[in-house]
Amino acid sequence: MKFLLPFLALPLLAAGLDSKMLSLKIYPSTVKLSGAGSTQQFLAIANYSDGVERDVTSETAWTLSHPNLGKLAGARLSALAGGSLNLTARFQGKQAISRVEITNAPPRPFQFGRDIGGILTKRGCNSAACHGGVKGRGGLKLSANALYPKDDYEWITKGGIYQVLTTQVAGDRVPRVNIAQPEKSLLLTKPTGVEAHGGGKRFDIDSEDYRVLLQWVKNGTPYGEEGMGGSGIVAFEVWPSIATLPVQGVRRLLVTARFADGHSEDYTHQVLYASNESDIASVNAEGLVTAHKLGETAILVRAAGQVASAVAGVIGPPIPGYPAVSPANFIDTQVFAKLRQFNLIPSELSEDGEFLRRVCLDLTGTLPPPARTREFLASTDPRKREKLIDTLLASPEYNDYWTFRFSDVFRVAIFANGLMPKWSTGYSEWIRNNIETNRPYDQVARERLSAQGYSPATRHFIPYNQIGTPPDTMAEEVRVFFGRRLDCAQCHNHPYENWSQDQFWGMAAFFGRMFKMGSIVVDHPVNMDWSSKDVDGKIELLHPRTKSAVHPMYLDGSAAQVAADANPRKELARWMTAHPYFAEAAVNRLWGYFFARGIVDPVDDFRSTNPPTHPELLATLASDFRGNGYNLRRLMKTITTSRAYQLSHRPNNTNRADLTNYSHSVARAVDAEVLLDAVADVTGVPETFATSVTGGASAIGQAPAGTRAIHLKDPDMYFSRFLELYGRPSRGAIPERSGKPNLAQALHMLAGATYVDRLGQPNSRLARMLESGATDDRIFEEFYLASLMRLPGADEKAELKQILGQRQDRTAGLREFIWALISSREFAENH
Amino acid sequence: MRVLWPILLLASVTVVSAQQPPPRPADPKLLSIHPFAGQAGTSFTVTVRGTGIKTATSVQSDLEASVEAVDQEAPPAPGSRRTPSDLVRLKITSAPDAKPGRHNLRLITPGGISNALPIHLTPHAVVSEPDGIHETPETAIPVPSLPTTFTGRITAKGESDFFVFEAHEGQTITFSAASGLPGIGSAGSNANGFDPSLALYELGGSWFDPARIRRVAFNDEPLWFFGRHQEPHLVHRFQKTGKYYLRLEAFSGQGGPDYSYRLDFFPRETQQDRPPADPSGERGFSRLLSTDRLNQLAERGGKPRDRKSVETYNPGPVQLPAIIEGAIAEPGQSQRAHFQIDGPRDIAIEIQTPSADPPLFNPVVRLLDSRGEEVATNILVGRGACTGAMSKSIQAKVIVPIRNPGAYTVEVRDLTADLGDPSFRYRLMIRQQIPHLGNIGIDEDHINLFPGDAKTTRVTFDREEDFRGAVAITVESLPPGVQALPSADYEPDKDAPLTAGKRERFNPRTERAVIAFTADPTAPPTTKPAMARVVVRPIVDGKPGAVAASKQIPIMVVPQP
Repeated sequence: MKFLLPFLALPLLAAGLDSKMLSLKIYPSTVKLSGAGSTQQFLAIANYSDGVERDVTSETAWTLSHPNLGKLAGARLSALAGGSLNLTARFQGKQAISRVEITNAPPRPFQFGRDIGGILTKRGCNSAACHGGVKGRGGLKLSANALYPKDDYEWITKGGIYQVLTTQVAGDRVPRVNIAQPEKSLLLTKPTGVEAHGGGKRFDIDSEDYRVLLQWVKNGTPYGEEGMGGSGIVAFEVWPSIATLPVQGVRRLLVTARFADGHSEDYTHQVLYASNESDIASVNAEGLVTAHKLGETAILVRAAGQVASAVAGVIGPPIPGYPAVSPANFIDTQVFAKLRQFNLIPSELSEDGEFLRRVCLDLTGTLPPPARTREFLASTDPRKREKLIDTLLASPEYNDYWTFRFSDVFRVAIFANGLMPKWSTGYSEWIRNNIETNRPYDQVARERLSAQGYSPATRHFIPYNQIGTPPDTMAEEVRVFFGRRLDCAQCHNHPYENWSQDQFWGMAAFFGRMFKMGSIVVDHPVNMDWSSKDVDGKIELLHPRTKSAVHPMYLDGSAAQVAADANPRKELARWMTAHPYFAEAAVNRLWGYFFARGIVDPVDDFRSTNPPTHPELLATLASDFRGNGYNLRRLMKTITTSRAYQLSHRPNNTNRADLTNYSHSVARAVDAEVLLDAVADVTGVPETFATSVTGGASAIGQAPAGTRAIHLKDPDMYFSRFLELYGRPSRGAIPERSGKPNLAQALHMLAGATYVDRLGQPNSRLARMLESGATDDRIFEEFYLASLMRLPGADEKAELKQILGQRQDRTAGLREFIWALISSREFAENH
Repeated sequence: MRVLWPILLLASVTVVSAQQPPPRPADPKLLSIHPFAGQAGTSFTVTVRGTGIKTATSVQSDLEASVEAVDQEAPPAPGSRRTPSDLVRLKITSAPDAKPGRHNLRLITPGGISNALPIHLTPHAVVSEPDGIHETPETAIPVPSLPTTFTGRITAKGESDFFVFEAHEGQTITFSAASGLPGIGSAGSNANGFDPSLALYELGGSWFDPARIRRVAFNDEPLWFFGRHQEPHLVHRFQKTGKYYLRLEAFSGQGGPDYSYRLDFFPRETQQDRPPADPSGERGFSRLLSTDRLNQLAERGGKPRDRKSVETYNPGPVQLPAIIEGAIAEPGQSQRAHFQIDGPRDIAIEIQTPSADPPLFNPVVRLLDSRGEEVATNILVGRGACTGAMSKSIQAKVIVPIRNPGAYTVEVRDLTADLGDPSFRYRLMIRQQIPHLGNIGIDEDHINLFPGDAKTTRVTFDREEDFRGAVAITVESLPPGVQALPSADYEPDKDAPLTAGKRERFNPRTERAVIAFTADPTAPPTTKPAMARVVVRPIVDGKPGAVAASKQIPIMVVPQP
C-alpha cells in the first residue's frame, strides 16, 4: 500500500489539511449533443470549507445511466445514439449529476475551415511563428488561426508562394496534397516527420488528426460548406474565465464554441492552448493547467478563426479568518471578490496623509499646501475624503491637470498640429474647454474624429501641415478611442489577432477622402471632380496588396453606407462611440492613470493575447460610464471613492508580490511635469520656461510668471532640461511614459539647477521661514507637510536634529535637509 | 612690365582709399512708437525708437507733431552685439476735429525721410500704463471707467500686464488689443513679432490657493489666417457682478522695448473691423461685387462706362449678367442658379462672401452643363513641387470660355459637408469677360537720393481677362533735379507652371515695369519731402484711360556729407 500513499495524499494536500469538501458540481450541468459522434468534456469541481474550489475531474468516478447511448473516456462523453441520459460523478462520498440529451441530428456536413482549419490551428501549423507568419514559412502560407479558410484552401490544394505586396503568386504551384497518392501528400508527410519539416513533428500517423486529413485528401479535397460567414463560430467561452489553483494544483479548462445559428458545441479538444507565462502556470494540449508558482497568467485558446483566453491564478494557501472588507462601491465588490478568490488580503485603508497626497496628485497634479494638509489631517469628518474629492474635481487645478493629461493622449504639439504654434494652442484650448465643461467624452470623440473645416479639432489631422496618411491617422484614432493597435494589419493580416489587412484598409478608407485645401480640412466628395481632371488626379485609397480602391468598412467587416459627398468620418465617429470598445477603452485608460496599470495593460493594447485582469469589472465600469453619459468626472469620482483606490501602499504578507489585483496601492514615478511643479511648490521658487524650439539655445520668449509645467501647452515650444531628463514625451507619437529612473536624473539631482540652485534663492520658502525666525522643528514640519503630506516621525525628527546639530552653518544644513526631501523616492513617487 | 603691375595696382588702391568720402548718413528707420495711441483733440508725447534718427529735425504727418528731444538707449551689456537705438521724443497735437483712426508719421532727418509708423487717435481718453510691473493680480492696473484705452508695453520676455475692473451681471464688455509691431505670421513680421493675447479672470480662488484667479475667457484672435487680424478681440457677457482681471501678454512670451500695445475696453459688444478691402482687389473674397461692376471693369480696361447695372437674383433661373445672392445656412446645403448661353461666350464667375469668409465659409462654385457634368469650378488644382501630391485651393474668381450653347447651372456649397450657418452668405456674379487691369502694386514706401544716385522701383500689374492694351506709368511732382525714367531690371527665368494651360483660368498674367528715380549730381538738397505721385493708366485704342492706380511716395534729395 505504501506506493499508493502519495497519490492519495495529493488531493488532501491540495485541499489543505483542515478543509473539508462541502459539495461536488459537474460542469456543464445540462448538455445537448447533436447526434452520434458529438462529444462533451465534463469537469468535476469540489467546494471545500476553506472557500476554495478544486478541480477533481481526474479523481472522480464517472458513470452513465444509459451506457448504450454514450461512451465515456475519462470525463469525456461521446454520443452513440439519440436519447436522454444522466452522467453521475462520485468523489469522496459526494455525487453530482448532469443531464444529457442527445438528438438524432444527421452528421454535420464537412467544412474545410472548421475541420481542416481546426487541425491546422490546434497543431500550431498556422501560428504566427510558423505558416501563419506574415510570409508563411517553407513556401506555405496559411492564415493565422485559419481566419481565411478559402485562402488556405487555395494554398494547400494549388500551392505557390504568397507575396506580401501583391496578389501575384510566386514560384511554381506545387499542391500540398496528392490526390493520386494521398499518403504522400506534403500535408501529411511533413507534420508527421516522414519528410524533413522545419516545424518538427506535429502529430503521429496513427492520430485522429492524421486520419481526418488523409480521408479529406482521399475524398478529393472538398471545400465543403462555408463556415465562418454562415453557421460558423461566433465566439468562444472558456470556463472558468478565472481559474484559481494552488501551487502544483491542476485545473482543466472547458471551451465552448457558440455558433451563429445559436447552438453550442464543446471545443475543449479542438483548440490550441498556450500560457502567456508558463513559469507561473503551464497548459497542455488537453487544456489542463498546472500551477508552478504564485502569480497570474493568461491562458490563450485558439481555434479556427477565434482566439479567447482565461486567467489562471496561482494562489497561496487558504487564509483562516479572511477579513471582511466592506465595499464602497461596485469596484470594491469586484476587486475584493477576486482578492478573496486569490487568497490575497487587501492592505489597510491608506492613512489620511497618504490618501491626500495621492488623490491630489491624481486629480490635480498638484501637492496641497501645508495649511490644507494640517486641516485635512485634523478633520474628524467621516466624509472628509469624499468631500475632498468633490472639491478637487471642481477645482481649476483639475482643469489644468486633465487638459495636460489629454494633451498627451491627443498630442498637442507644433509638429503634430500643422507646424503652427497658433494651431497647437487652439487645439489645446479646445481640450481645455472640453475638460472645463466636463463635456461628455463621446461628444469629444465624435468631434475629434469627424472635425472638418478650420476648427481646432481639425488641427491634429495635419501633422507637418499635411493631411496625415489614412493608415496612420486611422491607427491613431483606433488606438486612442478603441485602445487597440491595428498597425500590424496595415501590411498584412495581423499575425496574432483577428485583424485582417482588409479590415485595416476598410477602416483607413474612412479617412481616405481627407484633403487639405489651404488651411481647411475637408473630405473630398467622390462624385465631384473639383478640378481633379486638370491634373488627372483621383480621390481614392488603394489597397496596397490588391491595388484596388478600398471603401469604408467598419472593424467588424460590415460596409459603411456613406453618401458620395458626405463626411465618412462622421459615420465612423457615430459607429465607434456606440461600440462597446469605446467605453471599455476610455475607462481602462482612466483606470490606468489612477492605479498605475490598466485592467488591460498597456492601456491601449487590448488584444486577445493580453486579456483584462478583471474582465467583469471592466465591463461594469464601461457600462456605468456609458449609462451615465460618458461623464469623465463622475467616472473619476467612482474610482477615487472606491476603497480599492484608497488602500495603503504598504503591503501585507499575502499581497506583497501582487502588482495586478489592486490589493494595495502601487508606487509609481510622478510624471516629469508634475514633479517639477512639486519641486517648485515645496521650495517656493517657481520655474521659468523659455520659449524655444532649439534646445533652449535661442529663447525668443518666456512663459508668463506663474506658469506651471502642466500649463505648458506644447512641449516643442518650451525647452526644459529637467523635463527632458525626467521623460517628458515629445508627443511625436502617442506618449508612453515609462517613469523609469536613469543616471542623468541622479546627476541632475546632485548638481542640476532644479534641485540645487533653488535652495539658495532669496524668496524661497526656507528663506522666508528663516527670516520669520522659525525654529528647526517648525521648518522640519512645514517641509514634511509640503512635500510628503505628513509630519516627520519622532525618529526622523531626532535624526534630523542630530544631523543639523553637526553642521556649523544652520542654513546650509537646512538646505541639505530640503534637498534630501525633494530627492527622496517618497517625494518623487505617487504611492 | 609685368613686375610693375602689383605696384601700380597698390598705388591706385591707395589713391582711391585716400579719396574716399566720409560715410553717408544711414537711412532713417523707425522701429516702434510708444505709446502709439492718443486721444483726438489732445496733445501727448510719444517716443520713437529707431536707427539713424538721432538727427531728426521734423515730423511728416497729418497731425501736428514736433521733435522735443533726442536720446540714445543705454549701451548694452558687455559682450552683447546689440546696437543701441536712437530715441526721439515727439509732441503730438491733434486738432479737436481730428479723425479717430490711424495717422501715419515719418521723421525727417539730414539723412532723408523715414518709413512710416501709425499713431492711433481714439475718440476717448487714453491712459498710460503706470510705471512698475503689473504681472500679478495684486499689481493690476485699475481701469477707471469705460470706454477706456490703455497704452502699455511688454518690456521684457515673459512679462504680462494685468488690469482690474468691475463688471455687472449681464454686462457685455469688449476687450480689443493692438500691437505696434506686426504679429507673427503677418506680412513684415519675424519670430519677434508682437502678437498680443488676452485672458479674462475672475476672483474665485481654489482649495489649493485662495488667491488664485480663475480664467473665464480667453482670446488670442478670432482666427489665425493670412490676411486677417492678428490681434485679439474678446467680447464677454458677465454672468455675475464682481471684480475681474484682464491679462495681456505676447503670444510666445516675447518682450522688449518695441512691444508697445494699445488695449481698449468698450462697455458693449463691438465688432472687430474687417481688414479694409482693396477697392481694385480682384482676387479677394471680401471685395464688393456691386451692380456697377461692369462699368468699373470697363473703365479699368480703358473703355467707356456704358454698361447697364447688373440684376440681382436669388438662386433659381437668372439672366446673364447676374448677381446671385444666397446663404449656405445648413450643413451640406447647395444652392443652384440656372441660365442659358446662346452662343460661344467667355464668361467670368466671381464670388464675394459679405459676412463669413474663408476659412470659416469656403464657397465652392461649380459650373455644370445640361448633363450635370462639371465644366469649371473655382478650385485651382496643382501638384506639389516636392511630393507631386495633388493640391487644391478655392479662388474668388474663375474665367471660363464656353463654346457650347445651352443650359448651364451654377452650384454653390461649402467645401465641407458638415458646416453651414446663416452667416455663410455669398454674392456670385456671372458676366461676360471684360479685359481690364487688375491688381496694381507700386513698390517703395519712401525714397532718399544723394545727388548723382539712382534708385529703382517696380510697378506690377495684372492683365485680367485677356487685357491686351498698353499700360502707361507716369510720375508727377518730382523735386527739382530728380527724374523718373523708364527702365528695366533683371528678371530671372521662372519655371512654367505645373498646370500650364489651365492656370490662366484662376491667375491672371502678371507683368512688371521698372522706374528709375535719378538725382542729378547738381540736384539741390531738399529739407522737406516732395510727394511724388506714381500714376498707372491703361491705354486702349491709342487713348489713355482713367487712372487705374496711383501712389504718393515721399522723395528727398539728401546732401552729400
